[in-house]
Amino acid sequence: MKSEAQPEKRENREALDVASLAGDILLASGAEIFRVEETIFRIAQAYGVDSSNAFVLSSGIFLTAGSEREKDFASVRHIPLSAARLDRVTAVNQLSREIVEGRHTPQEAHRLLLEIQSMPPKPKLHQILASGIGSGCFCFLFGGDPVDSLVAFASGILLYLYLLLLVRGRLSKIATNITGGALVTLFGIFMYQCGLGHHLGEIIIGSIIPLVPGVAFTTAIRDIADEDYIAGAVRMLDALLVTFCIAMGVGLVITLWHQFIGGPLL
Amino acid sequence: MTERIAWEFLAACVGTVAFALLFQVPKKYYVLCGLIGGCGWVCYELLLPSCGAPVATFFANTAVVFLSRLCAVKQRCPVTVFLVSGIFPLVPGAGVYWTAYYIVTNELEQAGERGFLTLKIAVAIVLSILLVFELPQGLFRQLAGILPKRRGGTGA
Repeated sequence: MKSEAQPEKRENREALDVASLAGDILLASGAEIFRVEETIFRIAQAYGVDSSNAFVLSSGIFLTAGSEREKDFASVRHIPLSAARLDRVTAVNQLSREIVEGRHTPQEAHRLLLEIQSMPPKPKLHQILASGIGSGCFCFLFGGDPVDSLVAFASGILLYLYLLLLVRGRLSKIATNITGGALVTLFGIFMYQCGLGHHLGEIIIGSIIPLVPGVAFTTAIRDIADEDYIAGAVRMLDALLVTFCIAMGVGLVITLWHQFIGGPLL
Repeated sequence: MTERIAWEFLAACVGTVAFALLFQVPKKYYVLCGLIGGCGWVCYELLLPSCGAPVATFFANTAVVFLSRLCAVKQRCPVTVFLVSGIFPLVPGAGVYWTAYYIVTNELEQAGERGFLTLKIAVAIVLSILLVFELPQGLFRQLAGILPKRRGGTGA
């Protein structure tokens, strides 16, 4: 391992750059902390860097390396919380296996990682339809009848039209979820008052499901189980906050409806 | 009753696939995600009448996490892919809605009851995830048939 001293130093740097980029993509796409740490360590080791040391939080990666034999290296990356991209998690996972098997040089791996980072999301149309279909199905599961499910379907579509075409990530998370919850509730009440749908509660439940922070919640629990308490707590807070905001949006519309239009809703 | 369950299984499968798409799961895993979601929901529905929502959620989610880990090992991909979509039908979205509803309509007793039920369901989900992730990875490898007993050692 120590034989080629000069090229090894540059290789080290490239290897650690690859490792830290891989960690960056994983963390930004919603992977668990332990997966990020393990991937960084494995990639570094596969390229012959044994002294790497990664400290990963839910919003940043701190990576250092260096020992008597190996050149010092340090990198800090700030990674904002963002939406789940499980396609990237899967792709990086696959790539890291291949790196460990010794199938890529650091340069190649770096190029492949950049490709993974620029993978396009699913087409908007598919996402909008999926939101509608998901809402409709869940409305049915929670006890709605077929008409309710159709209203929830429309509502889910409306929600993602709003999120993808109007909001486009420009509002804060809090504002997005409050307005999203409010929007679907308003739509549900409106349709219900027009005589479409029979169970208002089930319609609204179905249509808020696309907002529910399932990924944050699940990952938070897994992080806490792995004893990554800080990251787990931050993600849990994120999940709770989003849930609370959805409830606020729904509650707000129902209260206003009671105040100004009155009459029993259910 | 059986017919209703069959329809619900279908709805849970399709719903789970829809959310898998929203989380950008690669296409080739859609079917497995859907089946896991559907199985979880059917477990929940079958247990619900006899043991109440929190316990039913616990067992159903145990099944979901177990199947997710098994598929993850079999398909050699991160468990998150199956877990987050499969868990979705069991997430207490309804509980959150009713709690909020009763709070704003000032029926605080009902709100408290619903709120606690939601909390219990959330805790049941947490417990089942913790439980299944304590099981050793080797068990799942053997079940998936990837690592026959004697070969061992190479790690993946």
